[in-house]
This record gives sequence, C-alpha cells and structure tokens, in this order.
Amino acid sequence: MFEFAISGIQAPIFLLMITGFTVGVVGGFIGVGGGYMVTPALIVFGFPGYIASGTDATHIAGKAVISSVRHRQLGNIDWTLALTMVGGTMLGVELGVKLLNYTKSIGLSGPTLLAGSVLIMFGLFLYTQLETRRAHKRIEEISEHGERVGRELKTSRVHIWFQSIPIYPIVKCTHARVVISMWVIVLVGVATGILAGFFGVGGGFIRVPALVYVIGATTHIGVGTDLVEIVVSGGYGALRQSMSGNVDMMAVLFMILGAMIGAQFGSIATSFVRGPAIRYILSYSLILATTGALLRLIYVLTGQKIEALAFFAVVFTLGEMLFLCLFIVSLVLFSIRHTHGKPVPKWVPPLVVAAA
Amino acid sequence: MRWLWDNMFGYWMVLLAISLGAAALVYVLWLHEAMHL
Repeated sequence: MFEFAISGIQAPIFLLMITGFTVGVVGGFIGVGGGYMVTPALIVFGFPGYIASGTDATHIAGKAVISSVRHRQLGNIDWTLALTMVGGTMLGVELGVKLLNYTKSIGLSGPTLLAGSVLIMFGLFLYTQLETRRAHKRIEEISEHGERVGRELKTSRVHIWFQSIPIYPIVKCTHARVVISMWVIVLVGVATGILAGFFGVGGGFIRVPALVYVIGATTHIGVGTDLVEIVVSGGYGALRQSMSGNVDMMAVLFMILGAMIGAQFGSIATSFVRGPAIRYILSYSLILATTGALLRLIYVLTGQKIEALAFFAVVFTLGEMLFLCLFIVSLVLFSIRHTHGKPVPKWVPPLVVAAA
Repeated sequence: MRWLWDNMFGYWMVLLAISLGAAALVYVLWLHEAMHL
C-alpha cells in the first residue's frame, strides 16, 4: 500500500503498474487511450472521481507518446493525415463539450448520455465485428486457393464513396495511399471529436474505425495515426486537468512505469498480425466497454442499492483490461508458433503474419 | 475442449472466464476491504 498525498488515499502500487501495463498493451495495439478502462479502475482503487479523470488523462498523454514513437519506427503513421485531422478533432472536442454543457443546462440527465454512448458503441461493435468476420473468411478463401494475402484486407466499400467527393483541396496521403478531399478528413475529425467530447467516449474508439472505414487507411496506419491525435488531444486534456489540480502525479508515475513496457509491446505486437486481427480486438473492446457502461447504467438506475451489481461492475472493469491484454499476447505467441510450424488454432493463420 | 481451442468464440470465452476470475480474486484479496472502509 502506498499513501497518495494529493488524493488522500492508500492504494496498492502493483495494481496501478499492472493497470498501466495492460492498458498500454491494448492502447498500443488498437490505438485508443483507454480512458474507458482506466478512469473506472482508478475509482475502484479508491481515487476520487475528479482525480481519477485527471490522472487518467495525464497518463494517456504520456502513454500515447511512447506508442507513437514506436509506431513511427514501424512506419504506421501518416503525418499528412494526422496533421490535417488534428485541427478538426480539437474543434470537435470543444464543440462536443459545449454541447454537453448546453444539454445539461436544459436538464438532459447523465443516464440519458450514458445510454447514448452505449448505443453508439454497440453500433460500432456490430459494424466492425461483421465486417471483420467477412474479411477473415475472405482471407481463408484466398489462402485455400494458394494465393498470397497482404497485411490488410477490408470488405467495406464505404471509403470509396468518401474518396470520390470532388471538393478541393484534394490531399494526397502518400504513406496511407489515400487521395481524398481535405474537407472530408477535417469533417471526420470534427464529427469524431464532437462525439468524444459529448459522450465522454474516448476518441480512439470512434476515430480508428473512421480512419479505416471512412477515410480508407489501412488498420495499422489508422492505429498509428490515431495515436498521434491522442498525443495532441491527450496532452491538451492533461494540461487543462493539471491546471485545475485534478492530477495525482505519483499515480501517473506508477502507471507510466507499467505503460512504458506495455505500450511498446502493444505497438510491436501490431507487426505480428494482419489488419482484421486489430479490428477484432477493437470490436471486442467496444462490446466490453458497452457491457461495462450498461452495468454502470443499471446500477445508477436501480438507485445504487444492488450490491451484486457493484461487484460485477468492479470485476468487469478489471477483467476486461486483462482479457484484451491476454488476447493480444496470445496472438503474438500464436504468430511465433505458426512461423515455426507448430500447431495453432484453426482461426489463427488468417489473422497473423510470419514473425520476423 | 478441442472446440474451445479451434473456435474463436470458444477461445474468447475461456480467456474471458480466466480474466474475470483473476479480477474477482484481486477484488476479494485487495479491494473489498479498501472499498468498504
């Protein structure tokens, strides 16, 4: 147990380091900050809500820097795309927060917003899961015919329509191999920013599917580019929270110690898998976050009286982090086994690439 | 047992069960007392 002077609580250090590590692995792999996991986890550990939120934002900014550096080395960042989008994202987040304050002033309640975020995340889960299953099957079919499959395969055609919008200036994102109107990128940034600011759902959850399905980037580029966005938006969030005195720097330090290793592992793990594997983990994290939010919604709606619901909410918050981390680690191990000709589950070969 | 290994959903369920079990253990061993102080 360590006494955190700013928060005025005692909490086990190893739980903070494990949280940093697991969320680092997940964030580096699917390109999200992981606020939906860390804030509830910190509250479970005993941190007051406002300190949990500020500490989470600060730790996310640091972790995103580590992941971005590693993704840059892996060639997963398109700077043109990232820099074009980032202005729209910041504008969107500010608009989203203003919209949130307005809806609060007219009496729209917290449970209504929570229900809205549940619906959005469930919709994204359904689309990502169904599309990825189709891509998984398509890779299996191509492999059965003895043909080689690249690192990416998508069955969605939505991006073709968006790329055909002829509004100048047209931007050429060389690394992502995308030619698209600048306004589409900016508007995607604004729209995803508004949703993130309004519903409080981490931007990465919405932005990575948007980069992949709307803009047309590969999943690896989507993840790396989104992490650059998180460096900027997370850094801004960390600055605002620090100025308000909502950050417990000792907790941030312990989480960052775990995240230093986790974020690097998660980022490197992307080089062992094909795009659909990342999209699978993204869709799993979406459904787990939806279930977690649903549990909390039911707990709030039932007047916070049912003890079993509180227990399930806590166990689920910690369990989902561990589950996603274990799945990513096992995918890397399966990739190495597959490369060495050792037996792996039947569903694995289409999802992994040969380990270096 | 083979089905759990060769089916992605089966593997998913096994990992989720292990993770939730470990989380429940963490709750019982470290967090339960702290949360009810």
